[in-house]
Amino acid sequence: MSGGFLRTAAPLTANAVLLMETAMGVALLFGAWLARTKRFRQHAWCQSAIVLLNLAVIAVAMTPSFRLQVLPRIPGKLAKPYYALATAHAALGTVAELAALYILIAAGTRLLPEKLRITRYKAWMRSVLLLWWLVVLLGFATYVRWYVPDLFR
Amino acid sequence: MRRSVSFAVLSALGLLGMSALTAPPKNLAILAAQKAETAEVKIDNFSFGPATLTVPAGTTVTWTNRDDIPHTVTSSDDPKLFKSKVLDTDEKFSFTFSKAGTYSYFCSIHPKMTAKVIVQ
Repeated sequence: MSGGFLRTAAPLTANAVLLMETAMGVALLFGAWLARTKRFRQHAWCQSAIVLLNLAVIAVAMTPSFRLQVLPRIPGKLAKPYYALATAHAALGTVAELAALYILIAAGTRLLPEKLRITRYKAWMRSVLLLWWLVVLLGFATYVRWYVPDLFR
Repeated sequence: MRRSVSFAVLSALGLLGMSALTAPPKNLAILAAQKAETAEVKIDNFSFGPATLTVPAGTTVTWTNRDDIPHTVTSSDDPKLFKSKVLDTDEKFSFTFSKAGTYSYFCSIHPKMTAKVIVQ
């Protein structure tokens, strides 16, 4: 097994996704800082771009991989750590992405009816940011369990 | 003269009988030729072992995943000659190589895991 990009056993796609998701997590923190410094327009652009980019990454890279490698084995083999980690990452990741899209639509458009609009933006955004980072950390753990030999063994 | 003829006939019959005893029956010989060869490849610690396996044509190779992480056995040829499903721990995949050649393969989850089967 030769070394390569990131020197793990992962394929190029998994390495690219890991780096992109890390960068997106950091960019979301930067976007939160923009809001704290009252630069709301830049904040909106930054967070929206990341949420939409993440949606593309989920559709193009993560969902096909999950469907092929994990979905056929659950729920039967959920007790195995590599399936459990991947499933938790996928489930919480879906919730985080949907919640982020909801904030995007509620805050950036007038598509939603009045009663579905958010009134406590800060609480929503902070909760989703926290959940997002939890999902990023679960993603790291999933990557390590699937692609890094000799760790946790 | 009569005695020598009967001796010759008996000798011929004896030879025929001996050859019948020493040579295997025709259908048994065919069965022996058809008896499939088998070979094993173990998947462990993110590698295929042996990395190069040499077998005669007609051999059925069985891969067993002894690792504690899923792997696949995927032909490098295009179109793919063989491709296993995702193999969990202790699951197996078999393929029969009928033609001579060198067949490279890899794990599609961990593409740096590569090996080959040489069929003679």
